[in-house]
Amino acid sequence: MKDKRIDHAGAAAAFIADAPHLAFHDERLWDMRQKRDAQMHLLPEWQELRTLASQIKEHALANLPEYLEQFEENATRNGIRVHWARDGAEHNRIVAEILQARGATTLIKSKSMVTEECDMRPYLAARGITVTETDLGERIQQLDDQLPSHIVVPAVHKLTGDVARVFATHYGTDPKADDPRQLAEAQRQAARPVILHADAGMTGANFAVAETGTFVVCTNEGNADLSATVPGVHIATLGIERLVPRLSDLGVFVRLLSRSALGSPITQYTTHFRGPQDGGEMHVILVDNGRSARLGMADFWTSLKCIRCGACMNTCPVYRRSGGLSYGAVYSGPIGAIIDPTFNERKYSTLPFASTLNGSCTNVCPVRINIHDQLYKWRRVLVDHHQMPFVKREIMHMAGKLMGQPRLYRAAISGTETALGTLPRFALYNWLNPWGRHRELPHPVKETFHAWYRRNRSAPGAADTEKTKTDPTKTGRTKDTGQ
Amino acid sequence: MTARDTILDALRRNRPDPGSHPLPPPATLGDLDAGRERFVASLRLLGGDVMERAAGEPLAAAIARHFPAARMICAAVPGVDGAIPVQDLPDARAADPVDVAVVRAAFGIAETGSIFLSEAQLHLNALAHLAQHLVVLLDPAQLTANLHTAYRRPEFRTARYGVLMSGPSATADIQGVLIRGAQGVRSLSVCFDPS
Ligand code: SF4
Repeated sequence: MKDKRIDHAGAAAAFIADAPHLAFHDERLWDMRQKRDAQMHLLPEWQELRTLASQIKEHALANLPEYLEQFEENATRNGIRVHWARDGAEHNRIVAEILQARGATTLIKSKSMVTEECDMRPYLAARGITVTETDLGERIQQLDDQLPSHIVVPAVHKLTGDVARVFATHYGTDPKADDPRQLAEAQRQAARPVILHADAGMTGANFAVAETGTFVVCTNEGNADLSATVPGVHIATLGIERLVPRLSDLGVFVRLLSRSALGSPITQYTTHFRGPQDGGEMHVILVDNGRSARLGMADFWTSLKCIRCGACMNTCPVYRRSGGLSYGAVYSGPIGAIIDPTFNERKYSTLPFASTLNGSCTNVCPVRINIHDQLYKWRRVLVDHHQMPFVKREIMHMAGKLMGQPRLYRAAISGTETALGTLPRFALYNWLNPWGRHRELPHPVKETFHAWYRRNRSAPGAADTEKTKTDPTKTGRTKDTGQ
Repeated sequence: MTARDTILDALRRNRPDPGSHPLPPPATLGDLDAGRERFVASLRLLGGDVMERAAGEPLAAAIARHFPAARMICAAVPGVDGAIPVQDLPDARAADPVDVAVVRAAFGIAETGSIFLSEAQLHLNALAHLAQHLVVLLDPAQLTANLHTAYRRPEFRTARYGVLMSGPSATADIQGVLIRGAQGVRSLSVCFDPS
């Protein structure tokens, strides 16, 4: 574990210094959060859906070996070749073997965070295989040689001018033509011939259904379906935690996923793969890469419930104002901060400190992961495992940099969502939460919003409805204070 | 040990107590209205259109009216005059020049405006994605209320490839600007047509 610690604070400071990018990033993600809220309010059953999603995922994780075996059996019966990969290296080797055995040298793929985890593209490139990302945002990031900065919108930190520059370099388009429509059309025109002549296609998967051996891919651009149906070979990479027991469970998750992610009722494409198409072949690679170990971490295993909707990122004041790239990891934002340390504890030791513990992430999470609790618990683990003065210096540094920004500072101290109700006082005000350092968090109201809400809206389950739909940094004040 | 056994072994060792995490029964929640109005409103929200036909107007004429510039029309349904039957396309690539593909959905979902297509309806799965525009025939009697009810449909247990398409392809990856017609079809028009 010699890897250098990620300097989140330094990278975030650079992002903050770039006013147009910062402003757009902040607004765009907040807009996604608001669209999500609007969808939530249309469904009276929203909180029940979240509870079910959480219970189904916890059940599936507790019974994962059996569900994986059931999935394998059914998928195999349907003609899918199922492979298992302990880690990224094994995954990449399997992909290369499948391609090489078929003489394939070109692979088109849709977005898959697992292949990012495995760092697959350079491995295949070194073996003479050209990998082309077909998702627009992911392609922009590939051409610009950057990690995705967001798990749903990979190039959200870029403005149209940035995309125009990248496309001018790689597609030969006019660098001054920065109309998003023209740029999207340029991608369509550039991608089509590559798709038509690719030897193989690759997708990720959002869900895998044990009872039928189906895997499900939720996308918007149509590129995943093109990648899966045009070439004769389809390889799907999925993390072993994607399993759900039954088809009926998809009803719960599909209803939550796109509403939480983008605020749309469903993705444009929700595709169910249960076997190869006529004359084609289909492979599924089940990837562990640290997941089985994470399942054994009493405080952190529920992070495996994550359905990668990105809602926790969109709502996080620190993420919105520091940009995904500042996390220096495949997964950024609150979810990244609680799972990245399981990949490399030292390298990602600063990330659990990139949070105000305001609890907004926990409130929006469609599978009810206690994200802010886990952030706090990671801080304690990291202090136990690493030199305390070092960690302490790092986090004070981070808080100092980010709190130099008045808007961000207001966001930080306005943390009045669930954290204040569920974390003990010492957790909020001790040195492990530098955000509470300069002043008391504005909590000492006589009656918490929680209590008020419970008293005034006594519908069962109403108490855990989210409360703060106003971003305090937009209005300059918080909803919970001032009583 | 094989990778499979290593992974399953580790999961068995590390998992939380299965007894404390029971599986809730299948849920059917929310609005159970399976009506056409709800479907159309949802379809429009996701960028899809409804293709109206004048009384007695042949399908081919309605398509020609809707897509005056279309040169190659490919149909996965019988009875579209002048269209190339999908069975005549030798492979996926042959679908690339298709301007308008005409298909019949197995069912639609009122909650989301989605239509379901599988190899049983498409014959060539790539047709629904390489074509520039998609015209979808839908029997209004085949509308289901929401995703909970949809997943009871038998098609999910038989189709090897089954897609719920909800409007045309779309992206908002460039500075958040929503663009309909990303890499798949540029438009999706539903034409109600009892089968
Ligand atoms: S942790 Fe929850 S909110 Fe965040 S990406 Fe995962 S599912 Fe979405």
